[in-house]
Amino acid sequence: MGTRWLIYALGGGMGHFTRACGLARVAARRGHRVTVVTNSVFAPAVPLEDVLGAGAHVHRLNPDLAKAAVREAVECLLDGVRPEVLVVDTFPRGLAGELAPLLPGLRMGKVLVHRDLNPTYVERFNVAAAVEDFDLLLVPGEDAPFSQHPRAVRTAPWLLLERDEWLGRAQARQQLGVDPEDARPLVAVMGSGNAEEVAEAGAIATRLQARLGASAPVRWLAPPGPWFPVRPAKSGAPARNMLQPVRVWPALAVMPGVDILVGAGGYNTVQEARVTGTPLVALARARRYDRQAVRLRPEELARTEAELMERVVALVGPRVARAPETYSGGARDAVALIERTVLSA
Amino acid sequence: MSPFSTDGCEVSTGFLFSHPCGLPAGALCPRCGKSVCDAHLSSNQEGALVCTSCAAAGDDDSEGDDSTNEDSEDPSSYYEDYGYYGSGSSWSRGSSKDPHDFTEADGESLRHEQDASFEEDLGGS
Repeated sequence: MGTRWLIYALGGGMGHFTRACGLARVAARRGHRVTVVTNSVFAPAVPLEDVLGAGAHVHRLNPDLAKAAVREAVECLLDGVRPEVLVVDTFPRGLAGELAPLLPGLRMGKVLVHRDLNPTYVERFNVAAAVEDFDLLLVPGEDAPFSQHPRAVRTAPWLLLERDEWLGRAQARQQLGVDPEDARPLVAVMGSGNAEEVAEAGAIATRLQARLGASAPVRWLAPPGPWFPVRPAKSGAPARNMLQPVRVWPALAVMPGVDILVGAGGYNTVQEARVTGTPLVALARARRYDRQAVRLRPEELARTEAELMERVVALVGPRVARAPETYSGGARDAVALIERTVLSA
Repeated sequence: MSPFSTDGCEVSTGFLFSHPCGLPAGALCPRCGKSVCDAHLSSNQEGALVCTSCAAAGDDDSEGDDSTNEDSEDPSSYYEDYGYYGSGSSWSRGSSKDPHDFTEADGESLRHEQDASFEEDLGGS
Protein backbone atom coordinates (compact mmCIF):
# COMPACT_ATOMS: atom_id res chain seq x y z
CA MET A 1 0.00 0.00 0.00
CA GLY A 2 1.57 3.29 -1.08
CA THR A 3 2.05 6.09 1.41
CA ARG A 4 2.44 9.83 1.05
CA TRP A 5 6.02 11.14 1.19
CA LEU A 6 7.22 14.74 1.28
CA ILE A 7 10.91 15.12 0.43
CA TYR A 8 12.34 18.44 1.56
CA ALA A 9 15.25 19.27 -0.76
CA LEU A 10 15.73 22.98 -0.27
CA GLY A 11 19.20 24.37 -0.94
CA GLY A 12 21.22 25.81 -3.79
CA GLY A 13 22.93 24.04 -6.64
CA MET A 14 21.77 20.69 -7.95
CA GLY A 15 22.92 18.36 -5.20
CA HIS A 16 19.87 18.47 -2.97
CA PHE A 17 17.19 17.91 -5.58
CA THR A 18 19.24 15.37 -7.52
CA ARG A 19 19.80 13.21 -4.42
CA ALA A 20 16.16 13.70 -3.43
CA CYS A 21 14.92 12.69 -6.87
CA GLY A 22 17.11 9.60 -6.78
CA LEU A 23 15.17 8.55 -3.70
CA ALA A 24 11.83 9.83 -4.97
CA ARG A 25 11.78 7.85 -8.20
CA VAL A 26 12.55 4.59 -6.37
CA ALA A 27 9.83 5.33 -3.81
CA ALA A 28 7.35 6.23 -6.56
CA ARG A 29 8.09 2.99 -8.39
CA ARG A 30 7.31 1.18 -5.14
CA GLY A 31 3.85 2.74 -5.21
CA HIS A 32 4.36 5.67 -2.85
CA ARG A 33 3.04 9.12 -3.71
CA VAL A 34 5.99 11.44 -3.47
CA THR A 35 6.28 15.23 -3.48
CA VAL A 36 9.73 16.78 -3.77
CA VAL A 37 10.13 20.44 -2.78
CA THR A 38 13.10 22.46 -4.02
CA ASN A 39 14.05 26.14 -4.20
CA SER A 40 17.14 25.73 -6.37
CA VAL A 41 17.72 28.23 -9.17
CA PHE A 42 18.47 25.22 -11.38
CA ALA A 43 15.15 23.49 -10.77
CA PRO A 44 12.85 25.50 -13.10
CA ALA A 45 14.88 24.54 -16.17
CA VAL A 46 15.71 20.96 -15.30
CA PRO A 47 13.11 18.41 -16.48
CA LEU A 48 12.89 16.53 -13.20
CA GLU A 49 9.47 15.09 -13.99
CA ASP A 50 10.92 13.24 -16.99
CA VAL A 51 13.11 11.10 -14.75
CA LEU A 52 10.67 10.85 -11.86
CA GLY A 53 7.79 9.42 -13.84
CA ALA A 54 4.30 8.87 -12.51
CA GLY A 55 3.67 8.94 -8.79
CA ALA A 56 6.08 11.77 -8.03
CA HIS A 57 5.52 15.50 -8.14
CA VAL A 58 7.98 18.38 -7.89
CA HIS A 59 7.07 21.57 -6.07
CA ARG A 60 9.43 24.35 -7.14
CA LEU A 61 9.59 27.27 -4.73
CA ASN A 62 10.73 30.60 -6.10
CA PRO A 63 14.44 30.93 -5.21
CA ASP A 64 13.76 34.58 -4.37
CA LEU A 65 11.45 33.77 -1.48
CA ALA A 66 12.52 35.32 1.80
CA LYS A 67 12.65 33.37 5.03
CA ALA A 68 9.13 34.13 6.16
CA ALA A 69 7.71 33.08 2.79
CA VAL A 70 9.73 29.86 2.78
CA ARG A 71 8.45 29.03 6.25
CA GLU A 72 4.89 29.69 5.13
CA ALA A 73 5.31 27.61 1.97
CA VAL A 74 6.73 24.67 3.92
CA GLU A 75 3.89 24.82 6.44
CA CYS A 76 1.36 24.90 3.58
CA LEU A 77 3.00 21.90 1.95
CA LEU A 78 2.97 19.91 5.17
CA ASP A 79 -0.68 20.79 5.60
CA GLY A 80 -1.59 20.08 1.98
CA VAL A 81 0.39 16.89 1.40
CA ARG A 82 -0.18 15.51 4.92
CA PRO A 83 2.78 13.16 4.46
CA GLU A 84 3.13 9.91 6.29
CA VAL A 85 6.87 10.22 5.75
CA LEU A 86 8.82 13.47 5.82
CA VAL A 87 12.31 13.13 4.35
CA VAL A 88 14.58 16.13 4.98
CA ASP A 89 17.72 16.44 2.92
CA THR A 90 20.84 17.82 4.66
CA PHE A 91 19.30 20.48 6.92
CA PRO A 92 17.64 18.98 10.02
CA ARG A 93 16.53 22.45 11.13
CA GLY A 94 15.37 23.34 7.63
CA LEU A 95 17.33 25.61 5.31
CA ALA A 96 15.94 28.68 7.07
CA GLY A 97 15.65 27.06 10.50
CA GLU A 98 11.92 26.84 9.92
CA LEU A 99 11.59 23.11 10.57
CA ALA A 100 13.16 23.14 14.03
CA PRO A 101 10.08 24.38 15.92
CA LEU A 102 7.72 22.22 13.83
CA LEU A 103 9.45 18.85 14.05
CA PRO A 104 8.52 17.83 17.62
CA GLY A 105 4.83 18.26 16.84
CA LEU A 106 4.80 16.48 13.47
CA ARG A 107 3.08 13.10 13.73
CA MET A 108 4.67 11.26 10.85
CA GLY A 109 7.78 9.27 10.11
CA LYS A 110 10.74 11.64 9.97
CA VAL A 111 13.88 10.78 8.04
CA LEU A 112 17.03 12.87 7.73
CA VAL A 113 19.31 12.46 4.73
CA HIS A 114 22.58 13.17 6.44
CA ARG A 115 25.64 14.26 4.48
CA ASP A 116 28.62 16.39 5.46
CA LEU A 117 27.87 19.71 7.18
CA ASN A 118 30.03 22.64 8.20
CA PRO A 119 31.00 21.94 11.86
CA THR A 120 30.67 25.64 12.74
CA TYR A 121 27.03 25.52 11.69
CA VAL A 122 26.48 22.26 13.52
CA GLU A 123 27.88 23.69 16.73
CA ARG A 124 26.48 27.20 16.71
CA PHE A 125 22.95 26.27 15.62
CA ASN A 126 22.62 23.26 17.90
CA VAL A 127 21.95 20.92 15.00
CA ALA A 128 22.31 17.97 17.38
CA ALA A 129 19.02 18.88 19.06
CA ALA A 130 17.16 18.90 15.74
CA VAL A 131 18.66 15.54 14.77
CA GLU A 132 16.97 13.98 17.81
CA ASP A 133 13.57 14.68 16.25
CA PHE A 134 14.22 12.20 13.43
CA ASP A 135 13.31 8.52 13.49
CA LEU A 136 16.00 7.55 11.01
CA LEU A 137 19.20 9.13 9.74
CA LEU A 138 20.31 7.89 6.34
CA VAL A 139 23.98 8.51 5.55
CA PRO A 140 24.33 8.11 1.76
CA GLY A 141 27.87 7.24 0.87
CA GLU A 142 30.01 9.66 2.86
CA ASP A 143 30.86 10.52 6.42
CA ALA A 144 28.72 13.01 8.32
CA PRO A 145 28.71 14.60 11.80
CA PHE A 146 26.07 12.28 13.30
CA SER A 147 26.87 9.14 11.35
CA GLN A 148 27.53 7.35 14.68
CA HIS A 149 24.06 8.21 15.98
CA PRO A 150 22.16 5.11 17.13
CA ARG A 151 19.45 5.72 14.55
CA ALA A 152 21.92 6.38 11.70
CA VAL A 153 22.31 3.86 8.89
CA ARG A 154 24.88 4.11 6.14
CA THR A 155 23.98 3.27 2.57
CA ALA A 156 25.83 3.31 -0.72
CA PRO A 157 25.67 6.69 -2.53
CA TRP A 158 22.32 7.66 -4.03
CA LEU A 159 22.35 8.29 -7.74
CA LEU A 160 19.61 9.57 -9.98
CA LEU A 161 19.81 6.77 -12.51
CA GLU A 162 20.01 3.03 -12.06
CA ARG A 163 22.87 1.15 -13.67
CA ASP A 164 20.82 -0.03 -16.64
CA GLU A 165 19.89 3.57 -17.45
CA TRP A 166 23.44 4.71 -18.19
CA LEU A 167 24.27 4.97 -21.85
CA GLY A 168 26.78 2.60 -23.37
CA ARG A 169 30.24 4.03 -24.05
CA ALA A 170 29.78 4.45 -27.79
CA GLN A 171 26.35 6.03 -27.44
CA ALA A 172 27.53 8.36 -24.67
CA ARG A 173 30.49 9.55 -26.74
CA GLN A 174 28.22 10.08 -29.70
CA GLN A 175 25.92 12.19 -27.59
CA LEU A 176 28.92 14.28 -26.59
CA GLY A 177 29.88 14.78 -30.22
CA VAL A 178 32.77 12.32 -30.34
CA ASP A 179 32.95 9.68 -33.03
CA PRO A 180 32.62 6.25 -31.39
CA GLU A 181 35.57 5.15 -33.54
CA ASP A 182 37.74 7.90 -32.06
CA ALA A 183 40.01 6.11 -29.58
CA ARG A 184 41.35 9.25 -27.92
CA PRO A 185 40.41 9.83 -24.28
CA LEU A 186 37.51 12.22 -23.77
CA VAL A 187 37.86 14.92 -21.13
CA ALA A 188 34.61 16.41 -19.79
CA VAL A 189 34.49 19.57 -17.69
CA MET A 190 31.33 19.65 -15.61
CA GLY A 191 29.59 22.99 -15.13
CA SER A 192 27.56 23.06 -11.93
CA GLY A 193 27.19 24.95 -8.65
CA ASN A 194 26.07 28.36 -9.90
CA ALA A 195 26.12 30.45 -13.07
CA GLU A 196 29.58 31.81 -12.43
CA GLU A 197 31.02 28.34 -11.96
CA VAL A 198 29.22 27.00 -15.03
CA ALA A 199 30.87 29.76 -17.07
CA GLU A 200 34.21 29.11 -15.39
CA ALA A 201 33.96 25.47 -16.38
CA GLY A 202 33.72 26.67 -19.97
CA ALA A 203 36.88 28.73 -19.59
CA ILE A 204 38.71 25.77 -18.06
CA ALA A 205 37.51 23.47 -20.83
CA THR A 206 38.70 25.95 -23.44
CA ARG A 207 42.15 26.24 -21.87
CA LEU A 208 42.38 22.49 -21.48
CA GLN A 209 41.53 21.95 -25.14
CA ALA A 210 44.22 24.43 -26.13
CA ARG A 211 46.73 22.64 -23.90
CA LEU A 212 45.82 19.11 -25.00
CA GLY A 213 45.48 19.91 -28.67
CA ALA A 214 44.71 16.87 -30.80
CA SER A 215 45.62 14.39 -28.07
CA ALA A 216 42.15 14.51 -26.45
CA PRO A 217 38.80 16.10 -27.22
CA VAL A 218 37.45 18.26 -24.39
CA ARG A 219 33.76 18.89 -23.74
CA TRP A 220 32.12 21.47 -21.52
CA LEU A 221 29.02 19.94 -19.95
CA ALA A 222 26.29 22.18 -18.55
CA PRO A 223 22.78 21.50 -17.29
CA PRO A 224 19.88 23.51 -18.67
CA GLY A 225 19.50 26.72 -16.72
CA PRO A 226 19.10 30.49 -16.72
CA TRP A 227 22.75 30.96 -17.71
CA PHE A 228 22.07 29.72 -21.25
CA PRO A 229 23.21 31.32 -23.42
CA VAL A 230 26.28 31.99 -21.31
CA ARG A 231 27.02 35.71 -21.36
CA PRO A 232 30.51 36.91 -22.20
CA ALA A 233 32.48 38.37 -19.31
CA LYS A 234 31.77 42.05 -18.72
CA SER A 235 35.36 43.09 -18.51
CA GLY A 236 37.33 42.31 -21.59
CA ALA A 237 36.50 41.27 -25.10
CA PRO A 238 34.51 38.13 -25.80
CA ALA A 239 36.74 35.09 -25.67
CA ARG A 240 37.69 33.78 -29.07
CA ASN A 241 37.61 30.07 -29.82
CA MET A 242 35.62 29.49 -26.64
CA LEU A 243 34.20 25.98 -26.45
CA GLN A 244 30.43 25.87 -26.58
CA PRO A 245 28.60 24.09 -23.78
CA VAL A 246 26.97 20.74 -24.36
CA ARG A 247 23.61 20.69 -22.62
CA VAL A 248 23.56 17.49 -20.61
CA TRP A 249 21.29 16.35 -17.83
CA PRO A 250 21.54 14.06 -16.03
CA ALA A 251 25.28 13.85 -16.68
CA LEU A 252 25.43 10.40 -15.11
CA ALA A 253 23.87 9.00 -18.29
CA VAL A 254 26.92 9.92 -20.40
CA MET A 255 29.60 9.18 -17.80
CA PRO A 256 30.54 5.83 -19.38
CA GLY A 257 31.77 7.80 -22.38
CA VAL A 258 33.95 10.14 -20.32
CA ASP A 259 37.56 9.16 -19.61
CA ILE A 260 38.53 12.06 -17.35
CA LEU A 261 36.02 14.17 -15.46
CA VAL A 262 36.97 17.69 -14.39
CA GLY A 263 34.70 19.51 -11.97
CA ALA A 264 34.10 20.54 -8.40
CA GLY A 265 33.68 18.56 -5.20
CA GLY A 266 29.90 18.51 -4.91
CA TYR A 267 28.16 15.33 -3.80
CA ASN A 268 26.81 14.24 -7.15
CA THR A 269 29.88 14.95 -9.27
CA VAL A 270 32.09 13.09 -6.83
CA GLN A 271 29.82 10.11 -6.26
CA GLU A 272 28.96 9.75 -9.95
CA ALA A 273 32.66 9.76 -10.85
CA ARG A 274 33.52 7.18 -8.19
CA VAL A 275 30.61 4.87 -8.87
CA THR A 276 31.25 4.86 -12.62
CA GLY A 277 34.99 4.50 -12.09
CA THR A 278 35.74 7.75 -13.96
CA PRO A 279 39.00 9.48 -12.92
CA LEU A 280 38.09 12.85 -11.36
CA VAL A 281 40.18 16.00 -11.05
CA ALA A 282 38.32 18.64 -9.07
CA LEU A 283 38.62 22.06 -7.49
CA ALA A 284 37.10 22.39 -4.02
CA ARG A 285 34.58 25.22 -4.29
CA ALA A 286 33.66 27.33 -1.27
CA ARG A 287 30.22 26.47 0.10
CA ARG A 288 28.43 27.63 3.20
CA TYR A 289 27.46 24.20 4.51
CA ASP A 290 29.40 21.74 2.41
CA ARG A 291 33.13 21.05 2.67
CA GLN A 292 34.21 19.95 -0.76
CA ALA A 293 37.89 19.73 0.20
CA VAL A 294 36.93 17.16 2.83
CA ARG A 295 34.85 15.13 0.40
CA LEU A 296 37.54 14.96 -2.27
CA ARG A 297 40.31 12.41 -1.98
CA PRO A 298 43.92 13.61 -2.37
CA GLU A 299 44.17 12.05 -5.81
CA GLU A 300 41.00 13.92 -6.88
CA LEU A 301 41.72 17.34 -5.38
CA ALA A 302 43.52 20.04 -7.37
CA ARG A 303 44.31 23.09 -5.26
CA THR A 304 44.82 25.47 -8.18
CA GLU A 305 43.78 25.60 -11.80
CA ALA A 306 47.42 25.15 -12.81
CA GLU A 307 47.60 21.95 -10.78
CA LEU A 308 44.32 20.83 -12.30
CA MET A 309 45.72 21.31 -15.81
CA GLU A 310 48.87 19.35 -15.02
CA ARG A 311 46.90 16.49 -13.47
CA VAL A 312 44.64 16.22 -16.50
CA VAL A 313 47.58 16.31 -18.89
CA ALA A 314 49.25 13.52 -16.91
CA LEU A 315 46.06 11.43 -16.96
CA VAL A 316 45.62 11.84 -20.71
CA GLY A 317 49.14 10.39 -21.14
CA PRO A 318 49.69 6.96 -22.62
CA ARG A 319 46.70 5.22 -21.05
CA VAL A 320 43.80 6.43 -18.94
CA ALA A 321 43.12 4.14 -16.01
CA ARG A 322 39.46 3.61 -15.26
CA ALA A 323 38.53 2.12 -11.91
CA PRO A 324 35.92 -0.64 -11.75
CA GLU A 325 32.29 0.40 -11.37
CA THR A 326 30.91 0.19 -7.86
CA TYR A 327 27.20 0.80 -8.40
CA SER A 328 25.08 -0.78 -5.70
CA GLY A 329 21.77 1.08 -5.61
CA GLY A 330 21.95 3.12 -2.40
CA ALA A 331 18.61 4.82 -3.03
CA ARG A 332 16.89 1.44 -3.34
CA ASP A 333 18.34 0.37 0.01
CA ALA A 334 17.23 3.67 1.52
CA VAL A 335 13.63 3.22 0.43
CA ALA A 336 13.65 -0.32 1.82
CA LEU A 337 15.04 0.99 5.13
CA ILE A 338 12.35 3.66 5.36
CA GLU A 339 9.64 1.13 4.65
CA ARG A 340 11.03 -1.31 7.18
CA THR A 341 11.98 0.97 10.06
CA VAL A 342 9.70 3.99 9.75
CA LEU A 343 6.51 2.87 8.05
CA SER A 344 6.24 -0.44 9.87
CA ALA A 345 6.99 1.08 13.30
CA MET B 1 8.00 50.18 -3.85
CA SER B 2 10.89 50.38 -1.46
CA PRO B 3 10.07 49.13 2.01
CA PHE B 4 12.04 52.06 3.40
CA SER B 5 10.61 55.53 3.83
CA THR B 6 11.57 57.95 1.07
CA ASP B 7 11.18 60.81 3.55
CA GLY B 8 13.66 59.31 5.94
CA CYS B 9 17.40 59.19 6.19
CA GLU B 10 18.96 58.13 2.90
CA VAL B 11 22.30 56.98 4.23
CA SER B 12 22.95 53.34 3.39
CA THR B 13 23.07 50.97 6.30
CA GLY B 14 22.65 47.26 6.96
CA PHE B 15 24.97 44.53 8.09
CA LEU B 16 24.36 42.15 5.20
CA PHE B 17 21.92 43.90 2.91
CA SER B 18 22.47 47.55 2.20
CA HIS B 19 19.38 49.73 2.46
CA PRO B 20 18.55 53.34 3.30
CA CYS B 21 18.41 53.95 7.05
CA GLY B 22 14.87 55.33 6.88
CA LEU B 23 14.82 57.05 10.27
CA PRO B 24 13.35 60.57 10.35
CA ALA B 25 15.81 62.92 8.66
CA GLY B 26 16.60 66.23 10.31
CA ALA B 27 19.21 67.57 7.91
CA LEU B 28 20.61 67.48 4.43
CA CYS B 29 24.22 66.51 3.88
CA PRO B 30 25.90 69.59 2.37
CA ARG B 31 28.21 67.37 0.39
CA CYS B 32 25.96 64.78 -1.27
CA GLY B 33 22.55 66.31 -0.63
CA LYS B 34 21.05 63.26 1.01
CA SER B 35 18.54 63.49 3.83
CA VAL B 36 20.28 62.47 7.04
CA CYS B 37 19.07 61.49 10.51
CA ASP B 38 20.91 62.50 13.68
CA ALA B 39 22.58 59.11 13.96
CA HIS B 40 24.15 59.43 10.54
CA LEU B 41 25.47 62.96 10.91
CA SER B 42 29.16 63.29 11.55
CA SER B 43 31.91 65.89 11.37
CA ASN B 44 34.39 65.70 8.55
CA GLN B 45 38.03 66.71 8.83
CA GLU B 46 37.09 70.36 8.32
CA GLY B 47 34.60 70.19 11.16
CA ALA B 48 31.54 70.47 8.91
CA LEU B 49 28.50 68.31 9.63
CA VAL B 50 28.08 65.80 6.78
CA CYS B 51 26.60 62.33 6.45
CA THR B 52 28.68 59.46 7.75
CA SER B 53 29.39 58.23 4.20
CA CYS B 54 30.89 61.57 3.19
CA ALA B 55 32.74 61.83 6.48
CA ALA B 56 34.27 58.41 5.91
CA ALA B 57 35.19 59.33 2.36
CA GLY B 58 37.22 62.25 3.74
CA ASP B 59 38.24 65.19 1.62
CA ASP B 60 39.26 63.27 -1.46
CA ASP B 61 37.33 65.12 -4.15
CA SER B 62 38.57 62.76 -6.81
CA GLU B 63 36.14 60.12 -5.62
CA GLY B 64 33.19 61.91 -7.22
CA ASP B 65 29.70 61.09 -6.05
CA ASP B 66 29.21 58.26 -3.62
CA SER B 67 27.06 56.09 -5.82
CA THR B 68 30.11 54.08 -6.81
CA ASN B 69 30.90 53.44 -3.19
CA GLU B 70 27.37 52.37 -2.48
CA ASP B 71 27.40 49.95 -5.35
CA SER B 72 30.62 48.39 -4.28
CA GLU B 73 29.35 48.04 -0.73
CA ASP B 74 26.06 46.50 -1.76
CA PRO B 75 26.42 42.80 -0.96
CA SER B 76 24.22 41.96 -3.94
CA SER B 77 27.11 43.03 -6.14
CA TYR B 78 28.85 39.80 -5.14
CA TYR B 79 26.02 37.93 -6.85
CA GLU B 80 25.94 40.05 -9.98
CA ASP B 81 26.28 37.08 -12.29
CA TYR B 82 24.46 34.62 -10.09
CA GLY B 83 21.11 33.55 -11.50
CA TYR B 84 18.18 35.27 -9.86
CA TYR B 85 20.32 37.40 -7.58
CA GLY B 86 21.65 39.72 -10.25
CA SER B 87 21.44 43.49 -10.28
CA GLY B 88 18.00 43.39 -11.86
CA SER B 89 16.53 41.05 -9.30
CA SER B 90 13.89 41.90 -6.77
CA TRP B 91 16.56 41.74 -4.08
CA SER B 92 18.51 44.55 -5.60
CA ARG B 93 15.35 46.61 -6.10
CA GLY B 94 14.53 46.21 -2.46
CA SER B 95 11.01 45.00 -3.23
CA SER B 96 11.22 41.79 -1.26
CA LYS B 97 13.07 42.83 1.84
CA ASP B 98 13.42 39.97 4.21
CA PRO B 99 12.10 41.06 7.61
CA HIS B 100 14.84 38.90 9.08
CA ASP B 101 17.64 40.83 7.35
CA PHE B 102 20.40 41.73 9.73
CA THR B 103 20.88 45.35 10.69
CA GLU B 104 23.77 47.12 12.36
CA ALA B 105 22.15 46.36 15.68
CA ASP B 106 22.69 42.68 15.05
CA GLY B 107 26.34 43.14 14.23
CA GLU B 108 27.61 42.55 17.74
CA SER B 109 26.35 38.98 17.79
CA LEU B 110 27.56 38.28 14.28
CA ARG B 111 31.24 39.00 14.54
CA HIS B 112 32.14 35.81 12.70
CA GLU B 113 31.34 36.49 9.09
CA GLN B 114 31.24 32.81 8.27
CA ASP B 115 28.29 32.40 10.65
CA ALA B 116 26.31 35.37 9.48
CA SER B 117 24.47 33.79 6.60
CA PHE B 118 23.67 30.37 8.06
CA GLU B 119 19.90 30.00 7.71
CA GLU B 120 19.79 33.42 6.04
CA ASP B 121 21.26 32.65 2.64
CA LEU B 122 18.52 30.50 1.12
CA GLY B 123 20.63 29.75 -1.93
CA GLY B 124 23.18 28.12 0.36
CA SER B 125 24.16 24.55 -0.08
